[in-house]
Amino acid sequence: MSDVMIDIKGLSKWFGDFKVLSNINETVKKGQTIVLCGPSGSGKSTLLRCINGLEPFQEGDVTVDGTSLRNSKTNLNTLRQKIGMVFQRFELYPHMTAMENITLAPRKVRNLSRQEANAKARELLERVGIPEKADDHPANLSGGQQQRVAIARALAMEPKAMLFDEPTSALDPEMIKEVLDVMIALAKDGMTMVCVTHEMGFAREVADEIIFMDQGAIVERGSYHEFFNNPQSDRAKDFLEHIL
Amino acid sequence: MAFDYQVIVEYLPFLLGGLLVTFKLAGLALAGGIFLGMLVGLGRISTINWIYYPVSAYVNFLRNIPLIIIIFWVYFILPIIVGKNLNPFVSSVIAFIIFEATYFGEIFRAGYQSISKDMVGSAYATGLTYWQVARYVTIPIAFRRMLPSLITQSIITFQDTSLAFVIGLHEFVTRANIVNNLEYRSIEIYSFVAVVFLVLCYIGSRISLHFETKYRRANVL
Repeated sequence: MSDVMIDIKGLSKWFGDFKVLSNINETVKKGQTIVLCGPSGSGKSTLLRCINGLEPFQEGDVTVDGTSLRNSKTNLNTLRQKIGMVFQRFELYPHMTAMENITLAPRKVRNLSRQEANAKARELLERVGIPEKADDHPANLSGGQQQRVAIARALAMEPKAMLFDEPTSALDPEMIKEVLDVMIALAKDGMTMVCVTHEMGFAREVADEIIFMDQGAIVERGSYHEFFNNPQSDRAKDFLEHIL
Repeated sequence: MAFDYQVIVEYLPFLLGGLLVTFKLAGLALAGGIFLGMLVGLGRISTINWIYYPVSAYVNFLRNIPLIIIIFWVYFILPIIVGKNLNPFVSSVIAFIIFEATYFGEIFRAGYQSISKDMVGSAYATGLTYWQVARYVTIPIAFRRMLPSLITQSIITFQDTSLAFVIGLHEFVTRANIVNNLEYRSIEIYSFVAVVFLVLCYIGSRISLHFETKYRRANVL
């Protein structure tokens, strides 16, 4: 058994003539929490979307838990069951309750019975701290609560890894902590996580490593302390000056 | 001159027969217009040029011509092209379908476009297939968002059917006109026609409002 969860090799991607990702080579080990940061437009979100096949790429390969995205035999739907994803704007299904949001994929993809799926969803809502919101629609939940339901929805498929795309950037300050607390607990539980975020408190607490991107390329990778106390590149120094 | 209800009562079967034609025309125009509109909507968001441009040309062309002209065209010009006379009913159905499809098409286009890329992405990310995403996420949300507009456009279509009068289709308004020519009771007859349209369309707009309020509250709109 390999201890690598996500293996990115020579990944490049273009939008038309514009190269958004340039020869990315990174590995994420099982159980690691990686924080991906960098200026806007640096390709962080695009890289994240390449990992679960939401964005196609032209060169290189991504392997998740031994399954290659480049392999034409790979079923993307099956692969995505292994990787949960959380979006900046929550993206809950507005016509469904929190419970229905969480149980849709387990019931339709994993063919769980409604009862089994509901039991699992209750457990997850408990875990993210809002068991009383099961029957509410997203419109009746605060941003922080919606994002926690979105995390529960991703966890319901029992993924082996989780991708977070700026999960707290659309939240009011007082709601950021409730979402980060859930993410911190998840990381401490041993979930493999790749998080695009500028929440440096979160990075300090749980990130095994920080990857800094700029202009579609990885500029630096290192521990929190290495990155903050001794950034190697000028671009990283410049970036840190702006966010701290 | 007193308001004479008698004329309405006397010709009621004849008038209601016309209303039935109106319902049939509206029903076929809506069924055909909405179905064709779904495809037109897809054509309008297509990234394939040979689909997008012809469909857009069709929409822009028809939407900028008065409906009455389209009705005339189909009735007078189409027979020359196909070499066969069309009766007013068939001709009206064709005219309404091709005209209303452009309006329904724009409603469908807006509905499809209102669903964000990330919403679809979040559904795919849980492992749902293309058809599952369409069945449980995209279509239900788009349909809820479009429903008020679809009902409103249906009401407009229903009212517009009275334009088939110009090619002599025996629908509600045409028959009212015939009765008027016989009885010279314009106020009674046209008021009756107006009230019937008012009641039917008002019910329709209340239904539309009901769904709009419901979905707005649920933050789906």
